[in-house]
Amino acid sequence: MRVVFLTEMTTTIAKMMENGAQLFARLDGRRSLKDIEPHIFPDGAGPVQGDVVEFHGTEGSGKTETLFHLVSHCILPVDRGGLEVEVMFVDTDYHFDMLRLVTVLERRLGEEAREEDGVAAAESEVQVRACLARLYVVHCSTSVQLLLTLHHLESTFCSRPALCLLVIDSISAFYWVDRSGGGESVAKQEANLRRCSELLERLLRDCRIVVFATTHAIMRNYRHSGQASTASLTPAAAETSSSSSWRQWSSTHASDFDRPYLSRAWQRLVTHRLLFSKGEVTQDKKQLFSAACTTTRTVGAKCSSFCVMEGGVQFL
Amino acid sequence: MVVLRDGMCPGSSEEMVVALRAADITTVEDLLSSDTEDLAQKCSVSYKALLAVRRVLLAQHTAFPVSGDDLYEDLISSTAIVSTGNSSLDKLLDSGLYTGELTELAGGPGSGKTQVCFGVTVNISYQLKQSVIYIDSTGGLSASRLLQILQKICKLEEQMEALQRIQVYRVFDIFSLIDCLQSLQCTGLQRASAGGGSVKAVIVDSVSAVISPILGGKQNEGMSMMMQVAGVLKTIVKDFNVAVLVTNTVTRDCNGNLKAGLGQSWSHVPRTRIILQRFESPGSTCSSLRTATLAKSSRQPCLLKEEFDLQCWGRSEDQLYEVSGKRKLEKNSPY
Repeated sequence: MRVVFLTEMTTTIAKMMENGAQLFARLDGRRSLKDIEPHIFPDGAGPVQGDVVEFHGTEGSGKTETLFHLVSHCILPVDRGGLEVEVMFVDTDYHFDMLRLVTVLERRLGEEAREEDGVAAAESEVQVRACLARLYVVHCSTSVQLLLTLHHLESTFCSRPALCLLVIDSISAFYWVDRSGGGESVAKQEANLRRCSELLERLLRDCRIVVFATTHAIMRNYRHSGQASTASLTPAAAETSSSSSWRQWSSTHASDFDRPYLSRAWQRLVTHRLLFSKGEVTQDKKQLFSAACTTTRTVGAKCSSFCVMEGGVQFL
Repeated sequence: MVVLRDGMCPGSSEEMVVALRAADITTVEDLLSSDTEDLAQKCSVSYKALLAVRRVLLAQHTAFPVSGDDLYEDLISSTAIVSTGNSSLDKLLDSGLYTGELTELAGGPGSGKTQVCFGVTVNISYQLKQSVIYIDSTGGLSASRLLQILQKICKLEEQMEALQRIQVYRVFDIFSLIDCLQSLQCTGLQRASAGGGSVKAVIVDSVSAVISPILGGKQNEGMSMMMQVAGVLKTIVKDFNVAVLVTNTVTRDCNGNLKAGLGQSWSHVPRTRIILQRFESPGSTCSSLRTATLAKSSRQPCLLKEEFDLQCWGRSEDQLYEVSGKRKLEKNSPY
């Protein structure tokens, strides 16, 4: 009888310890993504827990490639230069190209393992599978499904401390369908996105994750160039780094398609904004891309340029 | 918007729905966004019952995450590459049309988009012995042209068999296109095909013919319907694992380069894009030569160019070799 009593006690203590660990993980245990890519983010202002990074650009400007570059960096094991954290990928327009992600992973794993040649192929397959096991993919086909899925994912995030990153590609996919479905009232049109943003705010606060979201640049910025230059002539406004002025600053350095069109609730959540654009074609027929990063914590934009090779993004 | 109704799930009775409606909760998303305790008090509904209904509705309407490992496993076992029948196009597309992806063919009038669609259709139905669904919105499909191509490459019985594997739908406005696609999605593609073989490709020629008339102006319905078409096409692509080929017009951008029509929002939809143009050669006026440029691809470097002959689908193997041997491509020709 004494033995049974002891085992009961140990199981209850084990359960209590587990809950403590989960609580700790929830409060401060998630891995920081601050140094995920020093080329893109300004020094010391990489995304920390609770940040939202918006990838904005026209079609073919390198958003998805950069996203894959960052996601593969997250899921690669630590001994291969990665962060070994889990990623939740929400795909709203069936855009997720698994074959491309696997090619990028294989190249990155292959780079490190060039010395060990013989067993390389089979081992690399096993390693790729191990990396993919850290990635979860969800497909959503309407904004209601996106909202409900985020509700469901709340409990998933709280119970898995290794899940540090939520990627939504793209959050603007339902813009036109919602806009037409909401009729004349702007509030009804933006209702679902506003609810998603409120839910994301709660997720960010409670679970301390990082969110990457892509938005398509579909609205032409018809602002006159005269207006744009007066905005840049107010250094005082730029220095205060209030949320409205840093957004103004970013749009003076943008391409034609930079008008923010998503609901205010979403725009308030965004802490880092990456603006992608296509550059020129170099002499050896390589297409260059550029990314300009603005954040709420720094002044000015950090510009970087890259080209897309078979193994993924290569910064110049 | 999913409206709350009685009988939606076990536990959602008529009284509960009426009580919730009185508290301004009419849709599932309203119910899930509001606080359960408050709601139970306000509507005098049992907290437990409300929680149970909430859980069931969430399970019914949520999409569930799949591990990347399982997804990759599914993909490598089910993805197939459908050859177009033309080696130059196959080279651009990295061996052919991939199932599970949407490919776009853009070109001006007379650039050969419909002929390429015919060639791909004939190749799939005769060479690969699989079914094709052809949605014609321009009236450009003619069975006699398909027969003409088939007559040069096979015997009579095979011709009829090949034609039987091609299922044609004619749509002339956006509503009938959406209707046709949604009925294909609901009833499943297999029932639509006749004559054996599973459906490997769905060809929509052309998508801009039904969408361009409804775009423009201050109204949003046109954009919304275009994105609905995109949504249904993508669902068909993923659920039934077929290759979808759509054709589109071209416009010129501010630098004078050709780009696909239908605007910025549609440009995100296809995975791969090829732009067709007439081959500029001095002297010949109505030649069947075309150049294809790869404008968007996740597998090949962009701006790859290939030349091909529109008549290649109706030629036998020996003739093809003889023709392509004579013409050497200028790979570094200026754009």
